[in-house]
Amino acid sequence: MSAKFLFPLLFLVCFFFSGFSQHKPCTKKEFIESLCNSDKLHKAHLLLSNNSLEESFKLIENLKLDSEAKQDKNFESLILFLEGELHRRNNSFKKSVETYKLSLSKNTINNDLAFYAYIALGDIYISGIRDFDKVIPYYKKAELLLDKESCPEKQTLLYNALGNINLLSKNYDEAEKYYIKGLELYLNNNKTTQAAINYSNLGNLYFEQYKDAKAEEYFLKAINAFQKKDSTNINVRQQINYNLFAVNEAKGYYKTAIKYLETSNTLKDSIWNRDKVWEIADLSKKLAVEKKNQELQVLEAENKVKSAQRNGILVSALVLLALLGVSIYYYREKVKTNKIISTQNETLDTLNATKDKLFSIVSHDLRSSVNALKSSNRTLVNNLETKNIEKLDELLNTNSSIVNGAYNLLDNLLNWAMLQTKQTYFHIEEHRLYMLVEHVVFNYQGLFAEKEIKFENSVSKKDKILADQESLKIIIRNLIDNAIKFTENNDVISVYSKVEDENYIQLIIEDSGLGMSDNTRLELLKETSLLSKKENEDVIGTGLGIQLCKSMIRKNNGKFSIESQLGKGTKMIVSLPKAGDNG
Amino acid sequence: MDKINVLVVEDTVSESDALIASLEANNFNVVGLATNFKDAISLYNSTNPDVLIVDIFLNGLPEGINVAEAISVNPDSAKPFVFLTSSSDRQIFERAKLTRPFSYLLKPFNELELFYAIEMALEKFYEQKDVFLSDDEDTVITDDYLFIKKGKALKKVLVKDIIYIEVEDKYCNIITEKEKFVINISLVKISKLLNPDQFFRTHRRFIVNVSKVEEIILSDNLILLSGGHKADLSDNYREIIKRVKTL
Repeated sequence: MSAKFLFPLLFLVCFFFSGFSQHKPCTKKEFIESLCNSDKLHKAHLLLSNNSLEESFKLIENLKLDSEAKQDKNFESLILFLEGELHRRNNSFKKSVETYKLSLSKNTINNDLAFYAYIALGDIYISGIRDFDKVIPYYKKAELLLDKESCPEKQTLLYNALGNINLLSKNYDEAEKYYIKGLELYLNNNKTTQAAINYSNLGNLYFEQYKDAKAEEYFLKAINAFQKKDSTNINVRQQINYNLFAVNEAKGYYKTAIKYLETSNTLKDSIWNRDKVWEIADLSKKLAVEKKNQELQVLEAENKVKSAQRNGILVSALVLLALLGVSIYYYREKVKTNKIISTQNETLDTLNATKDKLFSIVSHDLRSSVNALKSSNRTLVNNLETKNIEKLDELLNTNSSIVNGAYNLLDNLLNWAMLQTKQTYFHIEEHRLYMLVEHVVFNYQGLFAEKEIKFENSVSKKDKILADQESLKIIIRNLIDNAIKFTENNDVISVYSKVEDENYIQLIIEDSGLGMSDNTRLELLKETSLLSKKENEDVIGTGLGIQLCKSMIRKNNGKFSIESQLGKGTKMIVSLPKAGDNG
Repeated sequence: MDKINVLVVEDTVSESDALIASLEANNFNVVGLATNFKDAISLYNSTNPDVLIVDIFLNGLPEGINVAEAISVNPDSAKPFVFLTSSSDRQIFERAKLTRPFSYLLKPFNELELFYAIEMALEKFYEQKDVFLSDDEDTVITDDYLFIKKGKALKKVLVKDIIYIEVEDKYCNIITEKEKFVINISLVKISKLLNPDQFFRTHRRFIVNVSKVEEIILSDNLILLSGGHKADLSDNYREIIKRVKTL
């Protein structure tokens, strides 16, 4: 198990360079560069960074003679540091350790240089000599050199290194402490990619301790922390997905595990593809150069035998071949993109069909209500001109009720669109039915008072149901809207709950209003009908609200029914799954 | 009782104005308003809020989630928070959900929904479910504070200010230096949640804060407490004597 997880530990080396914004030199490279006060030193450091080991070795030997002549202590420790780095890159680890120690023993050594020397010593014992026991003392010495003013780069480098070594030595608590320190610094500086790597490290840590659930949570945090998912972090994402696969495999969630393995493999393929593209480009470049050389030789040879014409044909044939190759390549690309475009077209078509349907239904009602508003405004202006003040109040009330209706229509329209395109957050949780009804009804107090409707919420406070909060609120809002629409002054609307059986609780919205005929009732309950005939022409309605309710109730695993008697009132009954044992 | 401190992180002025007005009208204490990630972190460090209300989208980016992640990374200094959002965008929510505990409020919201979300945030954060919404209880107990629901709003009381607690049926009388009030909570639950090194049962009906004990009169089975208060001591609960002697 642990073998699977060794590779993420290598991240920190490649990532700590990408920076926090600081003015002082902070990373190792910047810092050494700032110390190099002669051209020769600059050159030695540059050669070393580019792995030109032999050349830099010569230069450093040369400089050593110089520095001994100069008797400059600062110079000496820096040179020894660079020599240590050189041996390390050359894999002569023991020699490197000696040189670093020698550099540290110079009492003029600069604090920052000493910090990086201790880090380097620790790193050599981890990855070179592989003697883990010796690592921690060096890192601890480096930690002593840190203070609150130290740059975040140095702190995070050290914390992550300490985290890794403690993880390798199985000191899990210590490792967790240091990883969280590092994570805190990254989060406080808004470095999401690095934070992701730390989340992943923490995930590995928990996985090592068999805390699979926690490990999975941190891997998920890691994968979600990337603000951009592109080729710069593809390797990291592939490995995190692989780790998620391993966690889910360990937990026995094989379906989820396979999903992550597939994502990991897809990412691996794209890494492979990316690398392959470079390789192929390289190869073809080489090939092209070789071919050109051959051509030249052939040309020279053939020139000697005076067959320049043949060469011409050969060259043009080659060009044609190349053109053919290029056109085949583009043709293939085109076929590929065409395929993608056609599948996109299909999904667009279905989306458009839904939108068209909605559009045709809603535009009619929207236009009629805006039109009503228009004419009502004209009357308003006329009344204003004639100073008929008594009429104004009534007209303004009409306007506001028209606007309310139009707003509800738009709100439903938006919710419907979001439901169709599956963009909404939908999460079924335990809720107290009474609270949700109270929340919705709070906004209707004014309307109830204005229409003189007696309202009563007598849902039992103990009833708990399983539903998605926002969609259930939309359902309740629509049913109450409906009830208000079909009641007159002094009618009663009451909301109450009833235990249907051991699995369901009924939420009943009852009004003593107009009621409906059996035909209308059956029409409303039909799956497909979007537009229902209006019984009352002065009441704005599309049936969109009821349709939305039905879709959302279905999504919440609920049931819907209507009981009504013309002239006596309507009962809208929503059955929802009961929560827990004490519901 | 003190007001609850709320830190608001919201970048739209009209919305933060309405939110703050509604909080203050209901006796919450708004300790600060931040409009970006940086201000949010520095205000969080300088103001000691009890709860945060964080808009997910700050200046067009989902930076509110970063705020929540930054404040909850260290379990010792983490605080409950409510996410505020006008988008029900699924991916944003999936990311926000990982920053637990999770309480959210979808705009537009009314006062009831606002207070409900704050209550849910406290309940989930301190892992004491079904307190504010049930009829039987009204208090969430943490190491430092009692959070008490009074009417629509919430109040808090410093735990270390409590002198003693007297139990009557389903109620508890809390007596502090300054005031005396009743909370709804069962004896079993309150004795489980209070720090056992600080609070001791001395009688069937009394729980005493050991740091407020001034004298124990064994002959009368009586404990004298600071501020002239008294509590009974019964034979079944004598553990406090050892503790007071060693002080």
